Amino acid sequence: MKRWLKLVAGAAAITLATAGCAGSGGGDNASGSGGTGTGTLTVWLMTGSAPESLTGALNKEFEAAHAGVKVDYQIQQWNGIQQKLTTALAGDNPPDVIEVGNTQTPAFAADSVLEDLTSSVNDLNGAQWLAGLKASGEYDGKTYGVPFYAANREVLYRKDMFAAAGITAPPTSNAEWLADITKLKAKFGSDPQFQPLYLPGQYWYSLLSFIWDNGGDIAKADGKSFKSTLDSAGSKAGLEFYKQLVDTSGTTAPKDNDEANPQQAGIYGGGKVAMMIGTPGEVATAAKTDPSIAGKTGAFAIPGKTAGQPAPVFLGGSNLVVPINSKNKDLAKAYLKLLSGDKYMTQMAAAGYVPGTSSDVSALDKDPLGAVMAKASKSGRAVPTSPKWGEVESGQNPLKDMLTAYLTGKKTVDQATADANAALDKIIGG
Amino acid sequence: MTATKEMPTPAGATPPASARVSPPKPRRRGGFGERLTPYLLILPALVAVLVLLGWPTIQMLLISLRRLDLRELVTGKMVWIGLANYTDTLSDPEFWSVTIRTILFTAALVAATLVVALLIAVLMRHLNPVIRICVQVSLVLAWAVPVIATTTVFQWIFDQQYGILNKTLDKLGFHSFIGYSWFSTGGSTLTVIGLLVLWQAVPFVAFTLYAGLIGVPREQYEAAGIDGAGPFQTFRAVSWPAIRPILTMVTFLSVLWDFNMFGQVWAIRQGGPDGQSTTLAILQYLKGIAGSHFGSAAAIATIMLVLLLAVTARYVQLLVRTKDGEIA
Amino acid sequence: MKKSLTQRVTLSVVGLLVALVFFFPTYWMFTTSLKTPGDVLSPKYDLIPTSATLSNFASALTKPGFVTYLGNSLIVTLGAVIAALVVGVLAAIPLARFRFRGRKGFLLLILMAQLAPLSALFIPMYLLMRDLGLLNTLPSLLLVYFATSLPFTVWMLYGFVNGIPYDLEEAAMIDGCSRTGAFRRVTLPLLGPGLVTTSVFSFITAWNEFLFALVFMRDQSKQTLPVWLSSFRTAFSVDWGGVMAASVVYAIPALVFFLIVQRKLVSGMTAGAVKG
Repeated sequence: MKRWLKLVAGAAAITLATAGCAGSGGGDNASGSGGTGTGTLTVWLMTGSAPESLTGALNKEFEAAHAGVKVDYQIQQWNGIQQKLTTALAGDNPPDVIEVGNTQTPAFAADSVLEDLTSSVNDLNGAQWLAGLKASGEYDGKTYGVPFYAANREVLYRKDMFAAAGITAPPTSNAEWLADITKLKAKFGSDPQFQPLYLPGQYWYSLLSFIWDNGGDIAKADGKSFKSTLDSAGSKAGLEFYKQLVDTSGTTAPKDNDEANPQQAGIYGGGKVAMMIGTPGEVATAAKTDPSIAGKTGAFAIPGKTAGQPAPVFLGGSNLVVPINSKNKDLAKAYLKLLSGDKYMTQMAAAGYVPGTSSDVSALDKDPLGAVMAKASKSGRAVPTSPKWGEVESGQNPLKDMLTAYLTGKKTVDQATADANAALDKIIGG
Repeated sequence: MTATKEMPTPAGATPPASARVSPPKPRRRGGFGERLTPYLLILPALVAVLVLLGWPTIQMLLISLRRLDLRELVTGKMVWIGLANYTDTLSDPEFWSVTIRTILFTAALVAATLVVALLIAVLMRHLNPVIRICVQVSLVLAWAVPVIATTTVFQWIFDQQYGILNKTLDKLGFHSFIGYSWFSTGGSTLTVIGLLVLWQAVPFVAFTLYAGLIGVPREQYEAAGIDGAGPFQTFRAVSWPAIRPILTMVTFLSVLWDFNMFGQVWAIRQGGPDGQSTTLAILQYLKGIAGSHFGSAAAIATIMLVLLLAVTARYVQLLVRTKDGEIA
Repeated sequence: MKKSLTQRVTLSVVGLLVALVFFFPTYWMFTTSLKTPGDVLSPKYDLIPTSATLSNFASALTKPGFVTYLGNSLIVTLGAVIAALVVGVLAAIPLARFRFRGRKGFLLLILMAQLAPLSALFIPMYLLMRDLGLLNTLPSLLLVYFATSLPFTVWMLYGFVNGIPYDLEEAAMIDGCSRTGAFRRVTLPLLGPGLVTTSVFSFITAWNEFLFALVFMRDQSKQTLPVWLSSFRTAFSVDWGGVMAASVVYAIPALVFFLIVQRKLVSGMTAGAVKG
């Protein structure tokens, strides 16, 4: 009993003390956001995007240029971001600049909760915007999102293993790729843990490359409405090639999960995998397991059907947007101007990203893995710009179900694509 | 041991009797002030429940009659659309299959929780103290480990390639479990989710029932033993009446928790594969958060509330009446 | 009833098996937290770990803001627990000790208040907190956690107070105590186990909550531990060892709380639940 009372008393004291602090903090915020020239500019970027050195310098430079303005910079988690953004946008005092995933942007744009930035495009280096990202920030002929950065996938491979298997040059076509997988298997196959290509079943970003390469697509736009085309011949061919890769490689990666569960870079780092499809950044994760692996890793573009013509890649990335309820729109635009300039875009490239508003990728080209990515990004493509696409990714993704059902043999290619097509139409169709 | 056992009154030890021990007499000597006292005392709780739970619930009901997408949420515009959200929801065949799945899943889960917990509670009574403490410590651990952590661990245990479960089954000679996927069908996905929830829910129920069991004086068991009753008969004659009110309460709570459960189901497979482990709570989330249709999400939530009311009405009645019986 | 040796052995074996099953996930969380990234994703059979590293803990604990998040979590959780207990006791007294008009209605309200799915209330609650001007303050979370655990607390405490014979209070009043004095001196001390039991529930509710914490708190410096735990997952990767180490760290305060109240727990449940 006594112990319990002590606990109560202690906690009560803490509660009282902090209630006071929190109250005063809230007051500051409210009073600071009113003005146009001065006040607080709230900026939300995602975890793992711009490096701290960049944001530190950027915010300092911005504050120096705008006397009396303070940048309130917050890093957001991916987990639960949909709820966080929804509620934040609904507030009467939303953040002023937000990083939004490129596949989420159309939904926000369509619901008119973002500031129309069309008139500022030229100010923001508009001529150099990355094509694949640009489309995701546009809705109904207007521009709502400024491309921030993108990353796309390539095949990361072990140079030493390729050499040992007698492969002199990386494959440039699907046929060569499959042949090299067979060669690697012949060389290292005696080790039951060896996998020529690690390819988890629900890695739908990779699937997109094969679908596009075979002339298929996820969906077809018809004016403002969309009709899914996963049951087209090209889409089926892409899915079939995916299975061919999985079967030829004999990968033990889970067929019912994606590249993040378990983390494929960790498995690659284990040293029993000759190739994985990933972004250059994943090599750093693999190096946590085995620091020597970075030096042994090379990259080539995801091969296509035709030799020398790599498959198109999915451009994953982010846009920067200004909420329509922002109280500091002019400041927000000034911030975007600074961030989209060459100085900071070069730093994004140096951090390993394809910059969104600058075509200068020289900083990225310095790294051989980055160079391959930068080159492939030119043929980068995006998911349908349907405002409902966000629902596909934050909800139940039919493409993942399709892959698992087909790869595990539960459904034929016709059945799997037909079901996925119907499920996708239910979300984005109409 | 128990609060009542510390009392000198012998009746305090037997639950059914103790209920009748303290019939609070209506206090007549008081005037207006005295009559006001109970209202003053419940006032904070009443205000808190009405403002912090009641008001949002009413809001939810109202939202279900509106079109409330992101646009309306941001602009604050009210668009009343009558019962459209309800007719849309109810005319969707998927809604009905999800509803049936949710009801069956909840029923199975509640039944399993109660049976397992009751068995463990009875078992604890018969164990020697050392092993009983082992059981209790592991139950307390299972209970105290935060849900988010448990869910992560379960995902990891059931991992197709690196999960310890498949590796162990392989070691034990069931080689077909190498690379076995626990999440390729809705049924097995729901089973894993069920196990996860059982693991989290059983400790509370088991402890509660155990507490009820040890509240029964030993003499009653001994008397039953002398009368030549077998273990099962003893349980029915002595233990069962003592724990029945507790069972009513934990059943009520379990139904509430399992029916509305969202986090665990979502974390495991987001209601997949092919939406086969989607429950009403997941559907509500898909509409509301993922799809930004807060109106239809509120309609689904309201339907859930009504279903839950229908299912638990009897329990609510029973619970309130038991309580009231003590007073009348 | 005397049990034969075989019966006792069988019971013990079953008991140990039950203990093992319930212990295993906790055990697995702990051992995974001691593994290097390479060992976590290793195909070898490692039910019993052969090597251990504390590096996951080091990186978890040095992740920026841990102490702040821990403090925030403790404040909102303990605050909610205490508020629920105080308000709960106040409401439990008249329910058990008075007969008044509206009593049954109040009981019904308490039961029904638990029915609505919390995930559906999150938009209305967000709007409510916004209108009260409480967003981005710890009290907003404290209030929500307090409210969600209050009905259960009132219900349970009502059972506990009811279980303490009124005669005792009457006796004290005859001895010259005021009504309040009698309650404070006689009933309240006996209510200890009941307070403990109910506090465990409010504690667990508040300690685990993720969504409201994420959405209500704009500043990182005001986030709580569940949000911190989720930061081990990024768009591209999950650091399993880190997640497990963080989970262990996260579970410790809950375990400590359990240990503090544990002795009263079982006895508390007996008294309260039986009347429940």
